[in-house]
Amino acid sequence: MFSLVNLLQIGWTSLATSSYLVLFTLAFALVLKVNRVFNFTQAAVMTVAFYAAYTLVSLLHLPGAAGLLGAFAATLILSALLEIGGFRTLRRRRASPIFLFIFTLIVSELVSYLAMMVYGTWPTTIFPSLFWPVRIIAGVAVSQWDVPAIGATIATVAALFAFLRFTRIGRSMVAVADNPDLAEFYGIAKDRVYLVTLLAAGLISAVAMFLYGTRAQVEPTTALNLLLFAIAATIIGGIGNLGGAVATAVALGLLQNGSILFIPSSWQGFLLYAFLFLAIVCFPRGIRLPRRRLVRNTPTPDLDDGKAEKA
Amino acid sequence: MEYLYTIIVMMALYVILASSFDFVIGHGGLISIAHPIFYALGAYASALLAKDLHWPIVLAIPAGAVVAMVASVLVALPALRVSGDYLLIASIGFQLGVIEAIKNLDWTGGAGGLSNIPGVSITQGHGPYVIAVVLIAIATVALLRFVAHSPYGRAISALRDDEPAFIALGRNAMHMKIGIFALGSAIAGLAGGLYAHYFRFLSADQFGIMQSAALLTMVVVGGMRSIWGPVLGAIVLEALPQALTFLNLPPSILGPLQGILFTGLVLIFMFFRPQGLIVAGDVWTGRRNAKEAAHVRRA
Amino acid sequence: MSAGLEATGLEVTGLCKRFGGIVVADAIDLAIPPGRVVGLIGPNGAGKTSFFNLVAGMVRADAGRVRLDGTDLTRLPGYSRARLGLARTWQNLRLFPSLSVLDNLLIAPRRYPGESLAALLRPARLRSAEYQARERAASVLERTGLAAIAHHPVADVPFGQQKLIGVARALMNDPRCLLLDEPMAGVEGAAYGAIQRVVRDLAAAGIAICVVEHNVAFIRDLCDEGVFMFAGRVLARGEVGTLIADPRLTELYFGT
Repeated sequence: MFSLVNLLQIGWTSLATSSYLVLFTLAFALVLKVNRVFNFTQAAVMTVAFYAAYTLVSLLHLPGAAGLLGAFAATLILSALLEIGGFRTLRRRRASPIFLFIFTLIVSELVSYLAMMVYGTWPTTIFPSLFWPVRIIAGVAVSQWDVPAIGATIATVAALFAFLRFTRIGRSMVAVADNPDLAEFYGIAKDRVYLVTLLAAGLISAVAMFLYGTRAQVEPTTALNLLLFAIAATIIGGIGNLGGAVATAVALGLLQNGSILFIPSSWQGFLLYAFLFLAIVCFPRGIRLPRRRLVRNTPTPDLDDGKAEKA
Repeated sequence: MEYLYTIIVMMALYVILASSFDFVIGHGGLISIAHPIFYALGAYASALLAKDLHWPIVLAIPAGAVVAMVASVLVALPALRVSGDYLLIASIGFQLGVIEAIKNLDWTGGAGGLSNIPGVSITQGHGPYVIAVVLIAIATVALLRFVAHSPYGRAISALRDDEPAFIALGRNAMHMKIGIFALGSAIAGLAGGLYAHYFRFLSADQFGIMQSAALLTMVVVGGMRSIWGPVLGAIVLEALPQALTFLNLPPSILGPLQGILFTGLVLIFMFFRPQGLIVAGDVWTGRRNAKEAAHVRRA
Repeated sequence: MSAGLEATGLEVTGLCKRFGGIVVADAIDLAIPPGRVVGLIGPNGAGKTSFFNLVAGMVRADAGRVRLDGTDLTRLPGYSRARLGLARTWQNLRLFPSLSVLDNLLIAPRRYPGESLAALLRPARLRSAEYQARERAASVLERTGLAAIAHHPVADVPFGQQKLIGVARALMNDPRCLLLDEPMAGVEGAAYGAIQRVVRDLAAAGIAICVVEHNVAFIRDLCDEGVFMFAGRVLARGEVGTLIADPRLTELYFGT
C-alpha cells in the first residue's frame, strides 16, 4: 500500500483535486481580506454557478464552453445582486457582525433550498459522464481532466494576482484591505471596490465549480461543505495572506487525500472539520498578520490615538 | 391526541432552544450558530446513558445537559482566547465534525440513527411527560428572564456594548463569555434529553446547519434579546410548517418549501423589520425593588 | 489589599512596544507618586494613548515593568490591573449606551457580584454586595454632581456630563492610580469646572493621576508637572509652563 507508485498516485490526484480547492479558498480569502466578511454567500454563488452550467450543458445539451460562460454570467448577476441589495444596505445600517453573518449564511441556505426545489436533491454532474480517459505516465494514472484543470487554476490565480498588481481597481482593493478609512481618504470609492471584489470572487468560484462539477457529483448542499474547506485553509494560511491560503489549500488537499492510507475514507469529512477546529486551536496566529501590516501601513499621525485602542 | 402531543412537545422544545440560543447570540453577543450540536450532545448522551448503561431517565437527561455544557466550554476556551469571530468558525467545525463522528461511530447508531431509546412508560400515556416538558420550557424562560434582569444581565449588557471598557473596569470578559455560552449550551443539552426520550429515535443529520437556520429564524423573526420574542418566534415558526403539511405536497417539495419559508422569512425580517416581532428595549432594566429605588433617590 | 506595601504610586520602567516597524514606546521610564497630577504632552502619534494602553494592560508590552504601590502588574491582564486599583478613562468615552448612568457605575466596583453565574445562587450575598455598590455609587454620583441624572440612559446625557460619567465610573473602583485620556476635549461650561474640581479632590485624596490632554490651559492649571513625549520617548519632564515655553519642544509639537 505504501509503494512508491501508490504514493505518487496519491500525490498526483491530490494535486489535481487541489485545483478547485485552491480556487474556492482564494475566492473566500479575497473577500475576507478586502470586504472583511466571512462570506458564506460564496456557497450560494457556487451553487448557482454549478446549476447554471448544469442546465446549459446537461439539460440543454450545449457545449461545455457555453456552460462555463453561463456559470460566469450567473455568478456575476448574483454577486452584484448580493452586494448592491444586501451587503451595501447592511453596511449603511452599520449592522453588527452577527447580523451580517446571519445574512450570508441564510442566503446560502435559501439558494440551496431553491436548488432543491427546482433540481431535486439528487447528485448531478455537468457532463453526463464523470469518466475521463486515463493515460498511465510512469505508473501514475493521469486523466484528461487533470492537466487542463491544473492549468485553469494556475491561469486563474495568475490572473487574480496580476489584476491586484497591475490594474487601478486591483490596487485599490489592496489599499482598502490594508486600511479602508485611509483608502477612502485618498479618494478610493469603497463601495465600488467591495463590488469588484465580490465579482472577482464570483468568477473564481465559477471556474472552480465548473472544474468540480466535471469531476464529482454535486447536490444542493455540496457547496457549503466545500466552502468549509476553504475557511479552514484560509484560517490556517493566515487571514489576509492570499498566498498562504493557496499553499494551505494544496497542503490540506494532500493531507486529506493521503489520509486514505491510514483511515477509512468515510472519515474524510470528519478530518476536514477536525482541521478546521485544530486550525483555531493551534494556528490562531493567522489573525495577527493582517493586524500588524495594518498598523505598519498607517502613517504615524493617527496611529496610537485610534488604532491601538482597538487592539 | 398523539399528533397534538407531538406538536406541543416540539413547540415547547423549540421555546427552550430558541430562548437559550437568544441568550447566547442576542444577550451574550457571542457569534455562534452551533447551538443544535449541544442539543444533539444532550440528546445522544442522555439516550446512550439510558440505553446502554441503564440509567434512569430522570438522571440521564440532566447528565446530557452536563455533557453539552462541558463540550461547550471546551469549544469556547480555545476559540475565545483568540477573537470573537473565531468562536463562530470553531463552533461550526465542532458542529459538523461531531455530526460526522456520530455518523461514523458504531455505538451512536451510525448514519442509520439511534433507535430503541428508552422512553417514558407507555402505560401511563404521554400526558405527564408532555406537561413536564411544557413546565420545563416555562421554567427555562423564567430562568433566562431572571438572569437577564439580574446584575449578571447588567454585566452582559455592558460586555456587549463595549468589551475593552468592560475589561478596563476590572471585569473578566472571557470568564463571562464562557459562562454565557455554557449556560445556553447546557439548556440546549437539556432539551436534547427531553427530545430523545420522547421520540426515541435520533439521527445525526437533524442537528446540522439547517437546524441552526431554523433556530436563527425563530430568534431573528421573534426579536433578539426580547425574552418573549424567541418564544413567539418558536411557536409561530413551529406552527407554520405544520400548517404547510396540510397542503398534502409530496415530501420532495415540502422539505425545500419549508426551508425556503424559513430562510426567506429571515431575509425579509432582516431588511424590513430587523428588530423582529417583539422589540427589545434599548436600555437595560433590572428588577429594581421599591426600596432600592427609594434608596438611590434619597442619595 | 496589599498590606505592608508602601504607597509609591505608579512606577513604569523601561516600557517598550513596537507594532511592526513603528515604535510606540521606546524605553519609557515614568513615576507618578501618590497625590501628584502629571500631564502628558506631545504631538499626535507621540505614543500618549499607547502608553495608557500599555500601562492599563489593553496592549501587551514587549519589555519593561509596570508597578503600582509596589505590586508588579507587568504580567497581569487588564482586568486584574483594574482590580488592583488602576483605573482609566477613554478619549472616546466608551460608556455603555444600553445602561443608565447609575448602571454604568454599578459595573465598575472592584468586587462585582454580577460577574459570575454562581453568584446568582446566593441571593442574600448578592443583595448585600449590590446594596454596597449602590451606596458607593450614590456617594460617587454625589461627589461628581451627577446624582440628579442617575436614572437617565447615558445616551440622553449631554456630552460634558458624559465625560464626567467616564471619570465617575473609574472612581467606583476606588483607584490608586487614574489615567485620564483627554478628559476635557469638547467640554465646556459647568462640566469643565466640575471635572477640574473632581481631579483636584482625587489628587488631594492621594491618588496618582496621569492626564493626556491637548488643552494646554487645562494642563497648566491642573497638573503639578508635565512630561513631553515624542515618538514613543519621554523627552523632557518638568514644570508645565517651562515645557510649553521651550522652543525646541514647541517646534516638535507643531511639526515642520
